[in-house]
Amino acid sequence: MTDPIHIDALGPHGAYRARNRLVVPDVAGNPLVELSLVPKLFVTRAMSAMRKADTLRLEERLAALAEAGELFATGVVDGLSATDYQYTVSRVAGTPLPVVRGAVRAIADSAAGAFGSAQQARPVGAVHDWRDPKARDGTAVWIRRGDVFAVHAAGNHPGVHSIWLEALALGFRVAVRPSRREALTPYRLISALRASGFGADQIVLLPTDHEAADEILRQADLAMVYGGQEVIDKYAADPTVLPNGPGRSKILITADCDWRDHLDMIVDSISHEGGAACINTTAVFVEGDPAPLAEAIAARLGVIPSLPPEDDKAVLTAYSLPAAKKIESYLRSKAEGTTAVLEAEVDELPDGSAVLRPAVHLLDSPFSEQAGIELAFPCVWVAPWTRAAWSAVFRDSLVLTAVTKDERLLDDLLADPTIKNLYIGDHPTYWMALGVPHDAYLGEFLMRTKAVIRD
Amino acid sequence: MTDNMLDLPLDARPDPDAFVRAAMEWHFNPETGSAYWLERAKTLDFDPRTNVQTLDDLALFPNIVNDLRDVRAEDLIPQGYGPNPDVVGVYESGGTTGSPKRVVVLRDWWSRSTDWMNAHLDAAEFPRDVDWLSIMPSGPHLAGEMPRALATRRGGITFYLDMDPRWVKKVIAAGKAEEATAYAEHLIDQAAFVLQTQDIGVIITTPPLLERLAGRDDLVNLINEKVKGIVWAGTHMDADTRFLYMTEVFPAVRLHGIYGSTMLGGGIFERIRPEDDDACVFDPPSPFITFRVVDPETGRTVKYGERGQVVMNHVSKNMLLPNNLERDIATRVEPPAGQTGDSVADVSPVTQFEDEAVIEGVY
Repeated sequence: MTDPIHIDALGPHGAYRARNRLVVPDVAGNPLVELSLVPKLFVTRAMSAMRKADTLRLEERLAALAEAGELFATGVVDGLSATDYQYTVSRVAGTPLPVVRGAVRAIADSAAGAFGSAQQARPVGAVHDWRDPKARDGTAVWIRRGDVFAVHAAGNHPGVHSIWLEALALGFRVAVRPSRREALTPYRLISALRASGFGADQIVLLPTDHEAADEILRQADLAMVYGGQEVIDKYAADPTVLPNGPGRSKILITADCDWRDHLDMIVDSISHEGGAACINTTAVFVEGDPAPLAEAIAARLGVIPSLPPEDDKAVLTAYSLPAAKKIESYLRSKAEGTTAVLEAEVDELPDGSAVLRPAVHLLDSPFSEQAGIELAFPCVWVAPWTRAAWSAVFRDSLVLTAVTKDERLLDDLLADPTIKNLYIGDHPTYWMALGVPHDAYLGEFLMRTKAVIRD
Repeated sequence: MTDNMLDLPLDARPDPDAFVRAAMEWHFNPETGSAYWLERAKTLDFDPRTNVQTLDDLALFPNIVNDLRDVRAEDLIPQGYGPNPDVVGVYESGGTTGSPKRVVVLRDWWSRSTDWMNAHLDAAEFPRDVDWLSIMPSGPHLAGEMPRALATRRGGITFYLDMDPRWVKKVIAAGKAEEATAYAEHLIDQAAFVLQTQDIGVIITTPPLLERLAGRDDLVNLINEKVKGIVWAGTHMDADTRFLYMTEVFPAVRLHGIYGSTMLGGGIFERIRPEDDDACVFDPPSPFITFRVVDPETGRTVKYGERGQVVMNHVSKNMLLPNNLERDIATRVEPPAGQTGDSVADVSPVTQFEDEAVIEGVY
């Protein structure tokens, strides 16, 4: 047995190895990482230090961000090479190695482009500084809604850590509470940021249990929280917390288009990112008989190989065997009354871990509740869509890809504020680009305008 | 005289088995025993005066703590104290679940318990002749009585606050975390007035309130300026938090923990300068108070270094409370020479496992 990889807390006075450490096993159940969990007092002190800290000047921040992104993606950080880091993430989180590599590149690009990307959210009437000549006539200045931003991160996909880099670029001090399952990515990213110029009191990593986790939110000016529906409900009324919940992304194909022309896009939307991202498709709606489409999807998903996550060709997310079985039986109970075209299957791998083989279920109504059940593997519900259902069945979707020529329908889909992103035509639900919002611009939440006029 | 053994100071180490026999004689002799125990003995399938010969035999007793929720306080006082017993007070458990449990504390026990704790504070080089600020539960709580006893004995005045921990538990249980926070901050506000205006040399408080003190920079500075010692008691403190206080928050202040419980009739200070700085070890004054760390499933004593649930025995002239399974989890530690039973370290509440139900969504 090799020594565990230590993930220390990164506090305002440097790394802290706690006495209270959580052993995080890999997907096969072998201890691989020891995560230091800090108590509430540590959090209180850290947040207080962050509040008193300075913010780096803009040029310094941007240079440090770009440098840190490259160091994170390619360098040796805290003794760990980029290759070893990627391998470890795949083994601990079960994320397929190709997905990890893609996310790492995306994080580096986000780091370099964070400020420019954030600027897309700035209102056209707003400038950055009271020194701007426009202030002589009166203008809006774009300012931060606070100084300290907290993130309760998720561990489903390393890419979640590309988002908060915008907050750093905008001048926030940032506190990240990692998921216990995958704390290595934020640990490495924050270590790289510190090595590249950010102060220890400007960006911190606070792995904690639940009690201390609330303290992070209490002490922050603004926060972003990932979780299930209960997390969304808990913070729904709190204007300082931005919750990120289930994506429930969907695809619609109306009768004026042929789904056969879009099968690659549909299958990709389901299985890309290991099926574990909020931008993966949860349900496909098709006008007309959905059975042939369901069968075509099943035929394509059914041939994806079961491979360990560290394999170069891995597609499916790996889990510990008990975790996979738990998800499978949950799906089984929820799928009652639907038709299984491809039944989920726990496929045990030689090392004792497991993958969940893709699942395709046929629903008999566009209003079936199952269409909103999102699970972290390629699991899709295929439903008939009718004109009567119209846009109502797409409420509360992070992404909707609409393959249709019906402009009136598109108008209504665009107008619905609970459909966060609308992709028209042959664009997979996982499509993202720097400068295009993921769930509205983060800048809409982080910033506000202030009127300034000067002599 | 058997009674002499029960009258020994808490640092005396009488033969534990002889001591237990003396206590059985005292508590179950119709002349000296309490009305409660004499009546309760009738329901036992053994005779304590003949069958309980050793400390280990205390395990024969059922855990009777729940009786203490409704028994008359007078019935708990051994008749051997005569018609006018010197009662320090009737003290109640926190009342986490249901109606509170009550114990009667008598002067002779209280004096000896305080003497013992005081000697410990001297050994720990805790300051004398300074005033104390007590931010502890008040009213029927023994933990609030202790500071007065200690400070007075050590030449200081005690400053008090009103604190009702049951109200806090109630609002937390009702999901009103904000109300609990407001109450706690109200307590800290009152503490701040005392700290700012009086010559406070020692603070005694609970770990959650100490955290709130530490969350206010002005109070941290004030404490570092004038306070020489901090005593924490009443709840638990994890090793990382303790380390942070000692190295970063209050580096020049002596921090000393008490493991106690109303059902113990007092408190036990942490071991002074243990070999391992990180471990917070509590050595009970055996045979008056003895611990056993057991596997909650099997009831068997765990190995040294392993964690288990704490079973406590209180055996004194004042009170007999054998075989009481507390809600605390602790590491079993080898006792120092001469002590009977286990020592305990790193006490924490019974662990609750996280709900592992499947949550929909990818996070």
